[in-house]
Amino acid sequence: MGDSQYSFSLTTFSPSGKLVQIEHALTAVGSGQTSLGIKAANGVVIATEKKLPSILVDETSVQKIQTLTPNIGVVYSGMGPDFRVLVRKSRKQAQQYYRLYKETIPVTQLVRETAAVMQEFTQSGGVRPFGVSLLIAGYDDNGPQLYQVDPSGSYFSWKASAMGKNVSNAKTFLEKRYTEDMELDDAIHTAILTLKEGYEGQISSNNIEIGVIRSDREFKVLSPAEIKDFLEEVE
Amino acid sequence: MAGAMDLPAKGGFSFDLCRRNAMLAEKGLKMPGFRKTGTTIVGLVFQDGVVLGADTRATEGPIVADKNCEKIHYMAPNIYCCGAGTAADTEAVTDMVSSQLQLHRYATGRESRVVTALTLLKSHLFSYQGHVSAALVLGGVDVTGPHLHTVYPHGSTDTLPFATMGSGSLAAMSVFESKYKEGLTREEGIQLVSDAICAGIFNDLGSGSNVDVCVITKGKTEYLRNHQLPNPRTYASSKGYSFTKGQTEVLSTKITQLKPKVEIAEGDAMEE
Repeated sequence: MGDSQYSFSLTTFSPSGKLVQIEHALTAVGSGQTSLGIKAANGVVIATEKKLPSILVDETSVQKIQTLTPNIGVVYSGMGPDFRVLVRKSRKQAQQYYRLYKETIPVTQLVRETAAVMQEFTQSGGVRPFGVSLLIAGYDDNGPQLYQVDPSGSYFSWKASAMGKNVSNAKTFLEKRYTEDMELDDAIHTAILTLKEGYEGQISSNNIEIGVIRSDREFKVLSPAEIKDFLEEVE
Repeated sequence: MAGAMDLPAKGGFSFDLCRRNAMLAEKGLKMPGFRKTGTTIVGLVFQDGVVLGADTRATEGPIVADKNCEKIHYMAPNIYCCGAGTAADTEAVTDMVSSQLQLHRYATGRESRVVTALTLLKSHLFSYQGHVSAALVLGGVDVTGPHLHTVYPHGSTDTLPFATMGSGSLAAMSVFESKYKEGLTREEGIQLVSDAICAGIFNDLGSGSNVDVCVITKGKTEYLRNHQLPNPRTYASSKGYSFTKGQTEVLSTKITQLKPKVEIAEGDAMEE
């Protein structure tokens, strides 16, 4: 890739067997805005804080939760630009899968392919690992699913998970509140409450983002008006 | 390990084997044929949008390869495309552009425009210099209104209020030229399209079987598969046949009275 001076991998092992670049990437994720996801019995919800650097920023131009396919959505913690690159690649891979097999890509396949891309960047010349962790939410023939993908390329399936700044508090909160047979609307309330726990300031429908997928298998990012309704129910 | 990113494929047709093929053809080798759709495809713009129509016969030379194939291809929720020419080419090129339009929709967050589909198709066909044998009628309704275009295999396009393509295009065009007017209603549009396709079906050998129609309006698309079936297949009925009296010619008649021949014998009743 281009300059031969950098055809070696910048991600190399330390004597203790760690890949320090990946550790640093995880630190970048850990200092990003909190995001979380909850898998309910009949759907999945993902949510994130949307703290903008200044009140002058037009918040409608920022969309942190993105759709990868009609039935799979994704949110991140970490570096926004890296996220955009991954979203673009994942969307393309989903389309290529469809062109090849004439089947909409199953959630696990898309997660696997995205994770493979992230791993490539830990073992290639002249590139650095992605500074994001993703939460991929989808609904296919295997039901509702929630996956986390890390900068190293490892992925985990979660019933509920959180990433970013407030990860430990959020996870503890989720552990207490999660039940196996939770309904999606309860899950949305729980997600809002979890975000509220670690939020510095007042949360409103303009500074959080929520994405849901129900048994109709259509991933939707909720509008500020819909978020407002859920917020009022939680109060 | 150089390069994590895939290099983009150098596009365009690879002419490497053309010389060999020409040499083989000269030596007398018969090239394998491919399935051409023969076809009547049409489209027209009506009051609220566009109506597309197609027949359903796919031919392989003189043989009907598929009696009920689908020639109206999905491009986007608001854009459909009829294809004439080589079936594999029309399928592949419409699938590819449909995929590209989906990615574009995700990137922009907007509904696809017909001109976008048009430009993607014509660029691809031009770069293959006519070797991709796809002649298309592309129609749809987007934020700028209803649009209808024809795309030729070499990459040229037309924008028209009514259009026909395929081997049955002359038969269909004669119907359009005499009956088309601006501001048709939905029913009139569907009727006119069906009439044009039927003209192709009955007057062109390369077209036949049924009529497929697709109506696209702002916010709604209706795909009327097999809207008309003017060529029903008749099979042997398991219920048997009924013949009307007089269908079979009677050669001779002989009547034998049975009553005098019957013997009445007293006997025990049958056991239950």
